[in-house]
Amino acid sequence: MQVRLATARFDPQQETAAFAAGHADMGALVSFVGLCRETNDGRDVVELFIDHYAGFTEQEITRIAADVAGRFDCPDLLVVHRVGSIAPGEAIVLVAALSEHRGNAFEVVRVLMDYLKTDAPLWKKESGPDGARWIEPRAEDRARRAQAEEERI
Amino acid sequence: MVKLVFLGKFRGLAREDFETPLPAEVHTLSDLQAWIGRRDPALGSAMAGTRTQLVVNQAVVRDLGLPVNDTDEIAFLPPMSGG
Repeated sequence: MQVRLATARFDPQQETAAFAAGHADMGALVSFVGLCRETNDGRDVVELFIDHYAGFTEQEITRIAADVAGRFDCPDLLVVHRVGSIAPGEAIVLVAALSEHRGNAFEVVRVLMDYLKTDAPLWKKESGPDGARWIEPRAEDRARRAQAEEERI
Repeated sequence: MVKLVFLGKFRGLAREDFETPLPAEVHTLSDLQAWIGRRDPALGSAMAGTRTQLVVNQAVVRDLGLPVNDTDEIAFLPPMSGG
């Protein structure tokens, strides 16, 4: 399992290819890339800034990823998350899962994203012509996280 | 010295992390949060107005009745927004 915080722009295709290389025993590779949008809630976004707590953030994302990988018996997982200043169009997060078959690879990526939205120690601040504002998880994010937790049983 | 770390919108209000000798009136994490609120009312009300999580020496702490030690690093975390 690999978890990395990226302070500069990264190429999700390149990261995913490097992650999958040499895994001829795996039949499924599923990846998700979250992108910075140029508008959010009807406001123009010029810059997205993501604050983190060095050490703790990596530790918590690793803990969450290991938990989800264990739940779905997923052999290998990659998480790359940007921190710092991000421009619209750039990748914010990449989650990729390698597995023998597609079923648990899809599930692990979906569920891990649901947890990262509310539980990863990261804080987004959007800036645009209307000023800057800190973002909190939406009701939909909390509902998805609750659903993911319910599926645990 | 106690090291105080502020994340997200708390960092915006506190402007910077800082180290301080443990104030005489601070015994518990709850005392510490109250002391910060007296020193910086805007930050205090922001912390009181949302779900604030405390992390002591990089471990999540839920019991604010726990004692503060003079070498602790204590972080104040607003609700998270990753992904």
